[in-house]
Amino acid sequence: MRAMSVLAANGREAAQSLRRSGLRTALGLIGVAIGVSSVIAMVSLGEIAKEQARKQFESLGTDIVVVRDNASGGGDQGGLDLPIALALSDTLPSVLQAAPRIQGYGSFLFAGRNVGQGSIQGVTEAFAVVNKLPVAEGRFVSNLDINRSYAVVGAEVAQKMRGPAQREVIGERVDINGTLFTVVGVLEPYVESYALPVSIEANRSVFIPITTAQRTSRDPRIEVIVALSAPGVHHETVAQDISNYLRARATKMQPDIVTAKGLIAQMEQQMGIFTLLLGGVGSISLVVGGIGVMNIMLVSVTERRGEIAIRRALGARQRDIRSQFLIESIILTSAGGLLGVVLGLAATYAISRFTGWDFLISWLSVASGLGTAAAVGLFFGFQPAYQASKLDPIAGLQGH
Amino acid sequence: MLKLKDVRRSYQLGPVTTEVLRGIEMDVRSGDLMSIMGPSGSGKTTLMNIIGLLDRPSSGSCILNDRNISGLNDNELSTLRNRYIGFVFQSFHLLPQLTALENVCLPLIYRGSGRPEMRDRARALLKHVGMAERANHRPSQLSGGQKQRVAIARALVGEPALLLADEPTGALDTDTAAEVMALLKELNAESGVTILIITHDAAVAEQCKKQMRIRDGKLIDTRNLAAPTLGNETEREKMPGASS
Repeated sequence: MRAMSVLAANGREAAQSLRRSGLRTALGLIGVAIGVSSVIAMVSLGEIAKEQARKQFESLGTDIVVVRDNASGGGDQGGLDLPIALALSDTLPSVLQAAPRIQGYGSFLFAGRNVGQGSIQGVTEAFAVVNKLPVAEGRFVSNLDINRSYAVVGAEVAQKMRGPAQREVIGERVDINGTLFTVVGVLEPYVESYALPVSIEANRSVFIPITTAQRTSRDPRIEVIVALSAPGVHHETVAQDISNYLRARATKMQPDIVTAKGLIAQMEQQMGIFTLLLGGVGSISLVVGGIGVMNIMLVSVTERRGEIAIRRALGARQRDIRSQFLIESIILTSAGGLLGVVLGLAATYAISRFTGWDFLISWLSVASGLGTAAAVGLFFGFQPAYQASKLDPIAGLQGH
Repeated sequence: MLKLKDVRRSYQLGPVTTEVLRGIEMDVRSGDLMSIMGPSGSGKTTLMNIIGLLDRPSSGSCILNDRNISGLNDNELSTLRNRYIGFVFQSFHLLPQLTALENVCLPLIYRGSGRPEMRDRARALLKHVGMAERANHRPSQLSGGQKQRVAIARALVGEPALLLADEPTGALDTDTAAEVMALLKELNAESGVTILIITHDAAVAEQCKKQMRIRDGKLIDTRNLAAPTLGNETEREKMPGASS
């Protein structure tokens, strides 16, 4: 009852007192507002960046699994036989599609002209499905093209072959590292994603049947398998299944399995640390704001020694005085916090507009910004309030 | 009601110990109107601080309503101060940011009274001291006499056992001082408020039923002293070095 009465009165008077010392209150307020707004802006931007990265990943398909062989050397055959790689999706229910690739490099000649240099990718039908390579003309490599000298060319290669005359390229023959291939398809321009640990570079590549590549490539080892996991299967389960499968059948191989979901999880963890770091940077200015509040409160306590002494003479206990000044500093920092939330969100909005990212309000950052502001008031207000409560009323009454 | 027995108070300033109060004996009874007179530096203020429960004696006992206050902690002293003591100061000590009414409410806030109840009570007291119309004025809008009336209302709002007035007329002109003294006397006579006035002004002291003087940190009953000698003694009583 008594405590409530005192608290209520302290609350009423704190608000009045802050209003009276206008400029000083405003300065303290701004200090805290800047601190809180920087925390909110930093954390929100971290969240927005994370969301942005997540979206980028998701556009590629979150169910992609990339398998590589970490074994060095390995001889001509490599650690992995083609039939084993091809049987992956049939054997494992958790794998929907598996697309092995043999990769070489070379220059492409067409009608006596060099039409580019790039990667020669020996692939199967599944490769286009897994990596979402749309065909513009003709068809992609088929599983029936065993050992055939057929090639599907990327958009850029096709463009160069057509030349200014816009020649038809399907059915034409292109010289790839000295071997002639018949063009059976042209790909749509492909947007490379740098998020996945496999580079496609489809625009500057030619795709040939994997069986043909085994014969013609200088390095006929299966360089990578790009697979799709079955829907609803946890990414770690898929990775484990593939690992078990390969360890049993390809003993020379040291499979290195990376899943998109695993990468996303890793990325989110890193972004989480990043956000925390940004929040930490923002917090520094909040601490500076808090020190400003402490300074203001200390001045206020010094100025109001007489008032404190009078209150003590009238029966205020030490803790009443303490709560009076604490409430004042908490009100000050909370008001600064509210202002900071508005400023922080405005800054976030401005930056996200500028960068073209999607604006989103991180309620967590708003809540933590306000919470920290109040905590700053409590923390930095405590020392002045304690000092006020310990003032000697006798000295205060005489000095008045 | 208030008994002081051999109350001593000394201050340690470096290696020097100054004894300001040297065995005060005092007995304030309910309904008293008593003055303690002494020049500045005589220990008046120190005595007032002890009676007002702002300070504790170095030795001796101070018994308020059969309770020895020597062993009480700060919280307990604050509570007793709030309940039993009403202060009136020379420079009024009103809080400038609060209205007269809010100033009068202060002791009740620290007692934990409900807001409507305390405002009613504060209004009644302001009316009692003739300040009802000025309830919403701030101290800066009041004259010295009006301020002291508000301060008296504040001192009495909690129905204290003792109204402790430290030079209540010291900052007022003669006419206003007389008015304030008249109010105090009236409160004592009509409402039975126990009043202890600390002053160096003989004219004020003379108006009290009981008169004491403080000299060399000791209290002497001067009820029978004649007024004309007082002015001369004031000079002799100054004690250099004994600050309170």
